[in-house]
Amino acid sequence: MATDTLSPRTPAAPAARPPRSTSLRRQKRLASGGVLAVLIIASLLMAAPFLWMALSSIRDPTELAKVPMPLIPQDLRLENYTEALSRAPFGIYARNSLILATAAAVLNVAFGSACGYALAKMRFPLAPAVFGWMVACIMIPFYATVIPVFLMVRHMPMFGGNTILGAGGTGWIDTWWALIVPGAISPFMVFLFRQFYVATPTELIEAARLDGVGEFGIYTRIVTPLIKPGLLTVALLSFEAGWNNFLWPLLVTTSDSLRVIQVGISSFRQEAATDWHLLMAGTTLAAVPMIILFLVFQRYFVEGFAASGIK
Amino acid sequence: MTTTDRLPAAAPAGRTAPRGSRRRASVRTAERRWGLLLAAPATLHTLLWIGVPIVVAFVLSFTAYDIIHTPEFAGLDNYATILGDGLFWRSVLHNVIIAAIGIPVSMFLALVLAVMLNRAVPGRGIFRVMVFLPHITATVAVAMIWLWIYNPSENGLLNIVLGVVGIGPLPFLTNPDLALGSVILVTIWQGIGLKMLIYLAALQGVDGQLYEAADLDGAGVVQKFRHVTVPMLRPATFFILITSLIGNFQTFDLIYILTEGGPANSTSVVTYRIYQTAFQEFRVGLANAQSVVLLLILVVLAFLSRRIVGGTDGD
Repeated sequence: MATDTLSPRTPAAPAARPPRSTSLRRQKRLASGGVLAVLIIASLLMAAPFLWMALSSIRDPTELAKVPMPLIPQDLRLENYTEALSRAPFGIYARNSLILATAAAVLNVAFGSACGYALAKMRFPLAPAVFGWMVACIMIPFYATVIPVFLMVRHMPMFGGNTILGAGGTGWIDTWWALIVPGAISPFMVFLFRQFYVATPTELIEAARLDGVGEFGIYTRIVTPLIKPGLLTVALLSFEAGWNNFLWPLLVTTSDSLRVIQVGISSFRQEAATDWHLLMAGTTLAAVPMIILFLVFQRYFVEGFAASGIK
Repeated sequence: MTTTDRLPAAAPAGRTAPRGSRRRASVRTAERRWGLLLAAPATLHTLLWIGVPIVVAFVLSFTAYDIIHTPEFAGLDNYATILGDGLFWRSVLHNVIIAAIGIPVSMFLALVLAVMLNRAVPGRGIFRVMVFLPHITATVAVAMIWLWIYNPSENGLLNIVLGVVGIGPLPFLTNPDLALGSVILVTIWQGIGLKMLIYLAALQGVDGQLYEAADLDGAGVVQKFRHVTVPMLRPATFFILITSLIGNFQTFDLIYILTEGGPANSTSVVTYRIYQTAFQEFRVGLANAQSVVLLLILVVLAFLSRRIVGGTDGD
């Protein structure tokens, strides 16, 4: 069985083969059963931490001190959530994350698609250089540039008490500008858009030009409607990256009113210390929105992730 | 080009040529102008927020800078410091260890799962989601969950499980001998989903006729896997390897939440070390030199893995 599981088959393949002897068929059924068993065990192992999170989030705190602790909580205690919400402003954190993630989605779709379309379908000066630059940018990790970006944000002229030379104040630190602007357009999303646009028919653009449609109209009204699934993929991936972002918001925000949910969880950890029932309730609040979004739009996520390979 | 050639048929014969070329020229001008205009925002944005910072990082790496006073030129001092900085290289080594163990293990498990899920298994959509969930979830949330699973008391989930076979309780994250291994386990668990997805996409592109041909040649299951599946998956394997290596050197959130690089620096990684140098020790010049070294490491890795796996130019 162990070896047979390694042979990949398209779903249609077994049906296309002529029927073999019954012993072979029985062997095959056994193998399928084995594969199913392995898959069930593997996926349960993968999901176990989430199950543990959910169970812990509804656990009575007195159980946490019991040895041995019952694996399944004795009763469902939703008060953990209300208590977590009262101990830290998770509502504000979630709102901030929502704004950040939505801004990332909108900006990447707007400007990423414009650049991606131009690179895929238009002949203009410097096009090869722009494309090469975008690809190079994809390879540059944010961690290699984070300190200069931080310094640029801090020395943003005429903001946060800074002079025109960017000295004296705090610039964009602890503002929405800092949260949204530096990461607003991801070169990877430009690249992804280019791939989507390359697959659209060029004849359509030529026909539209003949009909006198302007270049901007061709981009917005003729070609872009053809890649609607691609738009959704980029929007979702950008939203996900915004919602899950941690280091950058951690560095540039200090006030509670600008704190995003991932940073909020991290600071709640100091505050709730060993109250694991509350910590897991908070973590559930931070994790569940993305999980739901993924379940609803699975197809679009998968397409984007398969192309990216990078978290 | 072809569109303008088709124009004359519709237009009166006498005025065809001048009108066509004028129109063609104006279309080309509009295309050039709009192409530049549409590409400009993203290009300028990345030049400002990625291009400029790279240059700034490089320049600051030759200075002594503490954020408060003006940077002072320091020549190669920072790089000399890095050469003798045991903790920095130890952090690099931790990245290497996490990669050397975590990536092959998660790639192997991902491949096995992908091959299984490539068959007509009932409920494969559900399996795929369950394997993929760790990737979609924020690393901060993931780290919080594992912090609780690794709890050193008898009530940590892993200690409950180990207690059944009479081991423990173990201090997974507070013992220098166990901490790095505990971190690696999380990276494997979180890394399987994406690798599986990429393998699955690649498997669906493998031509079924190759297997039929192998059947005709009397190849066994193992032979087919070795001589058909593995070579056909080579581009995907290269892609996964290179992106995983790059991703590995960007591990930060997990370390920040799980261990803060401890105990006794036993789980410090490059990005965490850079973070400490810049934002806790305020040695910004040195931290930028460390960033430049990180960038160099990634370039070398990209080059090496291409040579080792022999990825095609297509990826």
